[in-house]
Amino acid sequence: MEEGFNAYRQSLESEEQSIKSTQSVVEQAIAWFRAHSMFVLAYGTGCGAIEMPPTFTSRYDIERLGVVGVATPRQADILIVSGYCSPKTLKRVIRSYEQMSDPKYIIGLGSCTINGGMYWDSYNTIKKLDDFLPVDMYVNGCMPRPEALIEGFVKLQEKIRLNSSEAGYIKYRDNYAHYRANQERLFGAQVAPSYEENFAGMN
Amino acid sequence: MQNLMQHFEIIQKTPTLYALHVSIETLFNTLHHLRYQSDFITLSQLTCTDWIEEERFELGYMLTNLERNCNLMVKCFIGRDDVTVASVVTLFPQAEVMERELHEMFGVGFEGNDTLYDFALEDWQDLPPMRREFDTLAYVQSHYDFRDGRDDNLDVKEQIKIRKAAAKSAKEAQGGA
Repeated sequence: MEEGFNAYRQSLESEEQSIKSTQSVVEQAIAWFRAHSMFVLAYGTGCGAIEMPPTFTSRYDIERLGVVGVATPRQADILIVSGYCSPKTLKRVIRSYEQMSDPKYIIGLGSCTINGGMYWDSYNTIKKLDDFLPVDMYVNGCMPRPEALIEGFVKLQEKIRLNSSEAGYIKYRDNYAHYRANQERLFGAQVAPSYEENFAGMN
Repeated sequence: MQNLMQHFEIIQKTPTLYALHVSIETLFNTLHHLRYQSDFITLSQLTCTDWIEEERFELGYMLTNLERNCNLMVKCFIGRDDVTVASVVTLFPQAEVMERELHEMFGVGFEGNDTLYDFALEDWQDLPPMRREFDTLAYVQSHYDFRDGRDDNLDVKEQIKIRKAAAKSAKEAQGGA
């Protein structure tokens, strides 16, 4: 086993081989385009939003990976749930997510999205984001540095290029009843209108 | 300030902080007087303290003067249940949002404030969460699911000792070889 740059190159090549064996050329091309043009919804739920400006601006300059901020959910591919999320915010997050067009992915940024983090005993924050929305990539830390967020994006790029059926939006479509039940349990009468009819004609 | 101290029982806490206790009946008139007859023209904070042992709340109106170098805390004891205080929105417009928050967090009513509906919490059915009889942990455990594998407040001293001893013996074995 080699180390350093060669090992990295070899791992990339072996991954390339596995992609080539399962996908057609067109599929490969589409996945490559998708992985290198990730449009992020410019929306922050918690304190993690403060790590996003340095990530997107000149110091860390994530635009070199094809990651750009956009203003509306209709244009976005990626939703970053950055930090703690109160039920009031989660309602807006779910609505924003459902307005995004497929394929769409969610990054959970910070410990709060994983298990509540330092707000584990707060009456007004949810503890497990993946009960309500399908999370593709978690970046842990409190707060994660921009380097960690970039690593999360790179891992997500790899995942997108594999083009697997494990992607979050497919999971959300297939297990909608499960997510919807959790949302109804938390929000009660204030839950948003059902999203199910939008799945007609898909699959 | 000297002029005010002749008329009110003002206590000096620090060089820049003064306190004044008033009853609930004279609260509005006192604030009205301070707003229009003195330097203290800004309401910078509106606080509420829950003295559950004495079965009362303490409202605190933090007023700041024109030169921004002196604060006056006007305090008032009120009951804990079904209390309504006269709103000071007519004196200080910024009090609207402060009173709205206190209404949500403590359940204090403010007469004359029309905005006392949901603020940060939407569709809240339980007790106001900042009251001390509200059991936060019980509420969290009944409303949210925790991820398995998270255990807080574990006693890890023994684990750390074992780990340190193992690391030390491994280092010694390496040094010996």
